[in-house]
Amino acid sequence: MNRRQWLVLRSNKTALVGGGIVLCFALVAIFADLIATHDPELRQPDLLSPPNAEYVLGTDPNGFDVFSRLVYGTRSSLLTALAAVGLALLVGLPLGLVAGWRGGWVDSVIMRCVDVLLAFPAVLLAVAIAAALGEPSLTTVVIAVAVVLVPPFIRQVRAAVLQVKSLDYVTAARALGVPPARIVFRTVLPNCIAPILVVATLGIGIAILDAAGLSFLGLGPPETSPEWGVMLQKAMRYVQGEEQWIVLPPGIAISLTVLGFNLFGDGLRDAYDPRQSR
Amino acid sequence: MTFALRRLLLTIPLLLAVSLIVFALSNSLPGDAADLRFEKQPQVKEEWREKRGLNDPFLVRWGVYLWGVCTSLDFGDSYLDDRPVGSDLMEKLQATFELTFFALLIAMTCGLLAGITSAIFPRTPLDYAVNVTALVGISMPVFWLGMMIIVVAVNFFGFAWSSNRVDPMLDTEHYATNLYVLESLLRGDWDVLRSATRNLLLPCIALATIPLAVITRMTRSAMLEESGRDYIRTAQAKGASGPRVVFRHALRNALIPIMTITGVQFGALMGGAVLTETVFNWPGLGRFIVDRGIGSRDTPVLVGGILLVATVFILTNLVVDLLYGVIDPRVRRASE
Repeated sequence: MNRRQWLVLRSNKTALVGGGIVLCFALVAIFADLIATHDPELRQPDLLSPPNAEYVLGTDPNGFDVFSRLVYGTRSSLLTALAAVGLALLVGLPLGLVAGWRGGWVDSVIMRCVDVLLAFPAVLLAVAIAAALGEPSLTTVVIAVAVVLVPPFIRQVRAAVLQVKSLDYVTAARALGVPPARIVFRTVLPNCIAPILVVATLGIGIAILDAAGLSFLGLGPPETSPEWGVMLQKAMRYVQGEEQWIVLPPGIAISLTVLGFNLFGDGLRDAYDPRQSR
Repeated sequence: MTFALRRLLLTIPLLLAVSLIVFALSNSLPGDAADLRFEKQPQVKEEWREKRGLNDPFLVRWGVYLWGVCTSLDFGDSYLDDRPVGSDLMEKLQATFELTFFALLIAMTCGLLAGITSAIFPRTPLDYAVNVTALVGISMPVFWLGMMIIVVAVNFFGFAWSSNRVDPMLDTEHYATNLYVLESLLRGDWDVLRSATRNLLLPCIALATIPLAVITRMTRSAMLEESGRDYIRTAQAKGASGPRVVFRHALRNALIPIMTITGVQFGALMGGAVLTETVFNWPGLGRFIVDRGIGSRDTPVLVGGILLVATVFILTNLVVDLLYGVIDPRVRRASE
């Protein structure tokens, strides 16, 4: 990120708001132990207690303190999403790079595989993979979400590489006889970082939503673990009852975090590609 | 014609690859319903597996399965009770289709209107409001939104919503399809229509939010992109009226990216509806796959269901691609 891009990013209000939201949630995740008022997996004597001085957001049907679960859920959600995006980048980045740089049959093979994976609706693909991986846990959620994220990642990286490849400085480097590996890693890759960063940021938002969805369907961690999707699954039975307030906190937490990443990602894009910003 | 034909032929290997993946995935499932069903009789289970052809080589089973699906829509028999799952799958597919169709109808109408309005008045508070709302819309988990819609509709507006698709007191035995809204409309069966629409409304609104937000954002950016073009200035200069410039000139050219995204959304909704269906207890395909296919480990339901949804997804994209040729002669010409 150069100076101009940094200035654009800093003057972009939506990016600042998004970054601020993300920062807040990151701090909550890091200092979860200090912020939480109770042990998130310790059953309290009061079941479904409404919010009060002792339990800031009340307790859930299992007697868990909702506020503490929300705080630890932040850590769990962010870690899950980061792990899924990291895994997807680990696979998608080299494949996209190779497809874009080499072209020819390598490109065709990789892109046809991407097409096949994109022929599945994302949510259903994640559900099927989570089911095939066996005993549901956070790990299966991470892998399932990562598989869904890989195809779009490959596409974006490839598109970015294709764009950079045709630029004069790459031609110049080739003409100078710089070895291809060196061109790829020293010239092409650094110039693709900005779009990759945008895709990764927006990918974290998608990963949080997908992971919550899988947990909600019971394909994630066990119901005692403090996780936003699991909390919503528990809350579902109470929508039409007296205790509807337990539906609110996890949903707001998910929406806010994802909104933060979306705003920040849009801001990043505006900073590196002013043509697209309006 | 060549364009349409080539596009059509490209779909076949894609469908084959998709079915192969689903089949391979189902092969690696940890245990299935038969394990539980014949828990105490390994002998009977082995005979059953032999009779069902489950011990045949992988590729043979894949071929037999594909043949059954293509020739007679036979998706195999349930592992739970040996009854064919095809008719159940079709029935659930119709329920999901009804939900998705009306959700997309809402999303398209409102999304186009909001996007166009927003593009006509860029950088105004109105535009800003539309933008923020759309961004919030794609940031919310749809299942939470569904729950909030129930909370608000039932508790604040006293909306009598029930998780039945049609009031059980009404007679729908003789209905040929599972598309209650459309069929009751055709039959002129107003009681059923009223009841079906009423119960469809809330899940429909919930399912519509994400495509609504996506279509709005896409319409706005596509319209803005077109509004700066020379032909728009030409149209304005020759005295074409405001609405005519917007709808006849700009919108027609902006329609291609909008159509693409709408087609993708339709397919994504058919598969993604599982979350909405779970919240609203809607007896659709997604829930059937998760409950029966994964919950009860009835593998044929899982394979058949995913295959059906993926096929609908691929065919929708095909239709959208073919429509390009209709809307945009350049696409048609380019390949001729």
